[in-house]
Amino acid sequence: MSEELVGAALIIGGGIGGVQAALDLADSGFKVYLVDSSPSIGGTMAQLDKTFPTNDCSMCIMAPKLVSAGRHRNIEIISNAEITKVEGKAGQFKVTVTKHYPYINPQKCTGCGICAEHCPIEGPNWFDENLAPRKAIYVPFPQAVPLVYTIEKGMCIGCGECQKVCSAQAIEFKPYDEESRVIEVGAIILSMGFDKFKAFKKREYGYGIFPNVITNSEFERMLSASGPTGGHIIRPSDGDIPKRIAFIQCVGSRDAQLGHGYCSSICCMAALKEAIIAQEHEPDIQCHIFFMDVRAFGKEFEEYRIRAEEEYGIKISRNTRVAGIEEDHATGNLIIRYYRETKNQEDELVEETFDLIVLSVGMVPSDDAQRLCKKLGVKLNEFGYCWTSDFSPLETNVPGIFVCGTFSSPKDIPDTVAQGSGVAAKVGSLLSGSRGTLVSATEFPEEIDVTGQEPRIGVFVCHCGINIGGIIDVPTVTAYAKALPHVVYAEDNLYTCSSDTQERIKEKIKEHRLNRVVVASCTPRTHEPLFRNTLREAGLNPYLFEMANIRDQCSWVHMKEKEKATQKAKDLVRMSVMRAALLSPLPTQKVPVKKAALVIGGGLAGMTAALEIAAQGFPVHIVEKDRELGGNLRRINYLITGSDPKKILHEMIRKASENPLIKIHLATTVENISGYVGNFTTTLSSGEKIEHGVIIVATGGVEYRPKEYLYGISPRVVTQTEFGKMLAEDKIDAKTVTIIQCVGSRNREFPNCSRICCFTSITNAIELKRRHPETTVYILYKDIRTYGFNEVYYTEAARLGVVFLRYGEDSPPFLNENDGQLELIVKDQFLMEEFIIHPDLVVLNAAVRPNPDNERLAKMLKVPLTKDGYFLEAHMKLRPVDFATEGVFLAGLAHWPKLIEESISQACGAAARAVTILSKEELEAEAVVSCIDESRCRGCGRCEEVCEFSAATVREVAPGVLKAYINPALCKGCGACAVACCSGAITTKHFTDEQILTMVEAALREGVA
Amino acid sequence: MNSFEPQIIAFCCNWCSYAGADLAGVSRYQYPPNARIIRVMCSGRVEPQFILRAFELGADGVLVAGCHIGDCHYISGNEKCQEKVKITSELLELLGIDRRRLRLEWISASEGAKFAETMRSFTEELKQLGPSPFKEVK
Amino acid sequence: MAGLDELIEETGAHDCVECGKCTSVCPVARINPKFAPRLIVLRVLEGVSDSLSKDKDIWSCITCEMCNDMCPYEVNYSGFILGLRTRAIKAGNLPDCSQSGAVHTYQRLMTSGVKQNRLKWVTPEMKIKERGDVFYFTGCAVHLGALFSDKAGELKNTPANYVRILNAAGIEPVVSNDEVCCGHDLLWAGDEDSMLKLMDKNVEVIRKSGAKTVVFSCPECLRTFEIDYQDFLGDFDFELVHMSEFLLDLIDKGKLSFDSNGGKITYHDSCRLGRHLGIYDPPRDLISALGMELIEMQNNKEKAGCCGVNAFANCGEVSQKLQLDRLLEATATGADEMLTFCPKCVIHFNCLLKSPKLPVPHEKVKILVREFGNVLAEHLQKKGDR
Repeated sequence: MSEELVGAALIIGGGIGGVQAALDLADSGFKVYLVDSSPSIGGTMAQLDKTFPTNDCSMCIMAPKLVSAGRHRNIEIISNAEITKVEGKAGQFKVTVTKHYPYINPQKCTGCGICAEHCPIEGPNWFDENLAPRKAIYVPFPQAVPLVYTIEKGMCIGCGECQKVCSAQAIEFKPYDEESRVIEVGAIILSMGFDKFKAFKKREYGYGIFPNVITNSEFERMLSASGPTGGHIIRPSDGDIPKRIAFIQCVGSRDAQLGHGYCSSICCMAALKEAIIAQEHEPDIQCHIFFMDVRAFGKEFEEYRIRAEEEYGIKISRNTRVAGIEEDHATGNLIIRYYRETKNQEDELVEETFDLIVLSVGMVPSDDAQRLCKKLGVKLNEFGYCWTSDFSPLETNVPGIFVCGTFSSPKDIPDTVAQGSGVAAKVGSLLSGSRGTLVSATEFPEEIDVTGQEPRIGVFVCHCGINIGGIIDVPTVTAYAKALPHVVYAEDNLYTCSSDTQERIKEKIKEHRLNRVVVASCTPRTHEPLFRNTLREAGLNPYLFEMANIRDQCSWVHMKEKEKATQKAKDLVRMSVMRAALLSPLPTQKVPVKKAALVIGGGLAGMTAALEIAAQGFPVHIVEKDRELGGNLRRINYLITGSDPKKILHEMIRKASENPLIKIHLATTVENISGYVGNFTTTLSSGEKIEHGVIIVATGGVEYRPKEYLYGISPRVVTQTEFGKMLAEDKIDAKTVTIIQCVGSRNREFPNCSRICCFTSITNAIELKRRHPETTVYILYKDIRTYGFNEVYYTEAARLGVVFLRYGEDSPPFLNENDGQLELIVKDQFLMEEFIIHPDLVVLNAAVRPNPDNERLAKMLKVPLTKDGYFLEAHMKLRPVDFATEGVFLAGLAHWPKLIEESISQACGAAARAVTILSKEELEAEAVVSCIDESRCRGCGRCEEVCEFSAATVREVAPGVLKAYINPALCKGCGACAVACCSGAITTKHFTDEQILTMVEAALREGVA
Repeated sequence: MNSFEPQIIAFCCNWCSYAGADLAGVSRYQYPPNARIIRVMCSGRVEPQFILRAFELGADGVLVAGCHIGDCHYISGNEKCQEKVKITSELLELLGIDRRRLRLEWISASEGAKFAETMRSFTEELKQLGPSPFKEVK
Repeated sequence: MAGLDELIEETGAHDCVECGKCTSVCPVARINPKFAPRLIVLRVLEGVSDSLSKDKDIWSCITCEMCNDMCPYEVNYSGFILGLRTRAIKAGNLPDCSQSGAVHTYQRLMTSGVKQNRLKWVTPEMKIKERGDVFYFTGCAVHLGALFSDKAGELKNTPANYVRILNAAGIEPVVSNDEVCCGHDLLWAGDEDSMLKLMDKNVEVIRKSGAKTVVFSCPECLRTFEIDYQDFLGDFDFELVHMSEFLLDLIDKGKLSFDSNGGKITYHDSCRLGRHLGIYDPPRDLISALGMELIEMQNNKEKAGCCGVNAFANCGEVSQKLQLDRLLEATATGADEMLTFCPKCVIHFNCLLKSPKLPVPHEKVKILVREFGNVLAEHLQKKGDR
């Protein structure tokens, strides 16, 4: 059987989800074909300016992933292509891919762009949302992967200008323009993303008629420094800078009229972000966002919302679905009428004028995707998205065909990335038997020996579009660099991180025999790996690379002091050049991988991860502190989808227990963890020692025990979990049930949202109403956050007669008990009226809280926690299941509150990330480590004393002679030992005294201009 | 009014403070361009000599920034750093350098605002203090 | 700077007949057989071209002057090494400094003339003067106590304790905020230029004070004034006295007395005070005056072992062995404390004592190593007591 499996996967759609899946599969020994209908991978994320809640530059964080995918040996990107035919079954599909060759030979095109300069034809530019024209020959964006120009067939007049100027002779006007090929794959992943709702369909907003009504995507492009307006916010009608901007939410979402009864999940946060960024661009801009509910449910989103209101003064109106927009024809200004709450507690209808209105258009499934699904026999849901179920969020109805990202439901970037990894696990499990059959290992050219050579430094200074170049005089800095000692070559680039520049750097290394490279651009924290890899490809040791951070720590923070910023950039470049001259090549060492995983926590996430890893053929230890598996899932009695959680849980426990590769340690805790990625040793409370290569943290969360609302005092006040149990046991005997939301969350102490409680409340309320329609059910809330398809249950609950009352941030309900009768006073924020309810039962929707064990475990694992106490991943957007510490991964409630399907997706994601390590025989160990010069060592043991990682040990090398030894595999390169060493016998490689002191000297050699 | 622009050397740990400085950039928090950041993997890598040498070469102020106590990526590097900064500060005072010219701050990866604020207040404080006496005689 | 020939001439190195006696007494050579003082001389005499720029052995010498003492031809070996070092750093041959060179940097910072805050330790009850007959040159004990607070924090109290002792004897010494490092470490690390700058400042400070006598507790400071400064400046018109001599004189005159409940003490002759300056007996007499029992180590006076490190350069295995040997000897005496005047000896010995790892069990080197004055002050008899 396994011989028949094809060790390759087809990924349809090269957005961030597809790219993540491709990287994880390719890193786990599978061949990947990544097909995209557009000329470049990157999807919607490439169009974004910034991402919430960290306001990271979207392209900046994404580019390294695109480049990695573009240069990965096991990934073949097929751009400008579509799937025309699919045959076969799971494990052996034959897929016909038709690639359009718009007259350009991709093998020959260097992406230099001269053709576009000479092309006489301009036309619409979909990437920039048609806000500015582009040529008929184009790349969608400068960091495009692959960086190959495309001719838009309908636009091209065949004048041949491009052909004349193309020195690579890449332009071939051939009679045919498409080519079909059949590829064999074992699995197919659908990651086709979404389309943006067509705003003109909501005629009341005048999109397409009023020039100053634009969509959020258009606004996003406007904000982008490399966008059509160069980062300037302008009114399309007159090019003026708007002062008053309104955002209208839920355009095309939460709209039964259109058949879009779902919530698009991301638009609330996106609008807050766009408003914040707009005000950063133009401090005079006033933004007003018209919400239904503010759905800031993700990790630390609520704090972002608070910051938007309090720090940026962004106005927020809730329960305000704007009915229509009118235009003042003379000025192009726009008028909105809405009800505004007033001090005298009566709402009044007001009219407000805006200069620009942004429509937060929602997501819709793409037509192409729906058509393809018909071809594949893949079932769609009522809204046209790919059908999945709550316990199988990554699987379609067709075996061997999987789905990730927004094509299965609206979701944000981290959830999409987690699913991208998750779907890789699913494919890996299916194709495990064929791992490694169609791939080859990465090979770099032999390293050039630079010992004894005088430093020959090449400096590459990045404009980063206008991110750097708009502030810092980049050509001046480049010229300055050229004159520095040891610098033999310097140039500036529009984007030093783009793939064509990587090729250029390699060429320049050869041409000028460079033996050190300095890049002055953004931060080494994100981009150093990319450039180091480029050096390796050019035959240089990756540690001969140095970066000057002239963007994040210069141009972005000194935007108003251009000259001083330029001077600082020169200083930073000089410091880097001086340091670069002292860099030494560091050897990469290989350490063997212990092919087993440790999963901490045996709840839904832990078990899912364990089953996925075992399915890929690797042994797993599950360590669970309770006496049984199941975690919080044990306390869930039913689900609104109709799935039986008890049955599914039992089935899962049975599978885990029966799997010979899974060893379950119940009533056990982790006592000590030592080692490093690929090579951990963990001691359990049982005394057992286990050896493993990776760790997955799935310690779950806990329900907050309320101190408020008479909980624990009145027997008729219960938590949502207790209520669920009562409901399951049919023990509800109450005429009036009141559910209070946000108990223990969204308050001063815990400002964030627990994400799942709105949905849980509505689930239970519906269940109660179905069984006892006569019962009065109130839900007292701040915002109803039933994002995605769960919105339909909100509507259903309302239809069943559940009464929703919104209370204000500052006026929580008041509960009192008199003579055994509960009295609840609540001020409805919408009606501005005080209600008195006499409930028989009060249900407190208690917050999800982090597991109190997290702190202890975090210390043991040396990983950080958020200030709330959840585990903090390596990057909130693009590394949602990774820790900064290699080999340690994260899933489930340990990360943040989340729903079942989200936990499962994330757990699969963590499994896939773990398998990228377990599937390798050996790993490259950290080269930045400390080492001992034995001739200077006194063997005093101070290094051993300060080393937290047991890397330094003192050994008797001859009778009476003690010498310290640092195990490079254990050393993390912090340098504490080098500081503690009295005699200076310890050198921390790459951060030597000499290298650091040289930077100090270089920094101070010239004054601050 | 005060045209003196202090020169600051800032040693930032890779995991928290350097990331915090990046976040200040990502968030576009503006601060005066007086500091030159030197990245070290851990604040515990900062030796008294690095600080002394900066002053010897004419720095007006030195900032050492690391993870908050308890958050060190290397567990306790920041505590070791704290000890070293303390003794260096003692030594600097003997030598005639105002203790305020050497600052130790804990700035996490999520505290871009704090990083910018530290830069603003440190620059301002150094402007008040005037040039380092060692700068004059350098 | 004078050429090598001149150095050879000055130090009498050409008289070396390569008898090898120096090497046979050299404590470094005993531990590191590759190190041979006479080979260093030989390489220079024979004009081996890159010996100055490459020879790391010139930094391995601990300048203890065991060899000087033994040399039948009176070659000034340590002077020869000193001259080589001054020339070597100009050729780019640098020592391996402890603390990454922090000690040298803070000392060099004093060449600037920046107004220090050096007298932080002075308390109101101390009687000190700006001008007077007796100048107490405090040295760097406070600075070293700060930098090495984990090893020898007690050094921070040393100058204050000497002032209290002097005050008790009715002496109000001049202590100056403008005093700077004597330049000993910088000189021995090859940085003669900085030493000269420091010298000029110190001499000026002393001259301004009108002092006739300068008292030193630190042997290195005394050695630098006595030998190195006077080498450059000719004889001073003020007297240079070591604290031990000065205090003994006060005791003899009945102005000062100490009282202890006995106790066993051993005394460590630092290289500077002992072999370099020949002051052996006064410290021993002070111990007697304290009413404590002095138990000599096996090697004492001219034969005393070394603390193993010179000018915070090239501390390593050899240093550790020398410290260990000395502390084993000291422990073997059964004394409670080992006293010495040199703050560097205090630091280096304590560095070993506080090492988490030792090649011998820790109890074999169980002795307190303390700066002399800090112990003296504890047993100072107040005026009323007498």
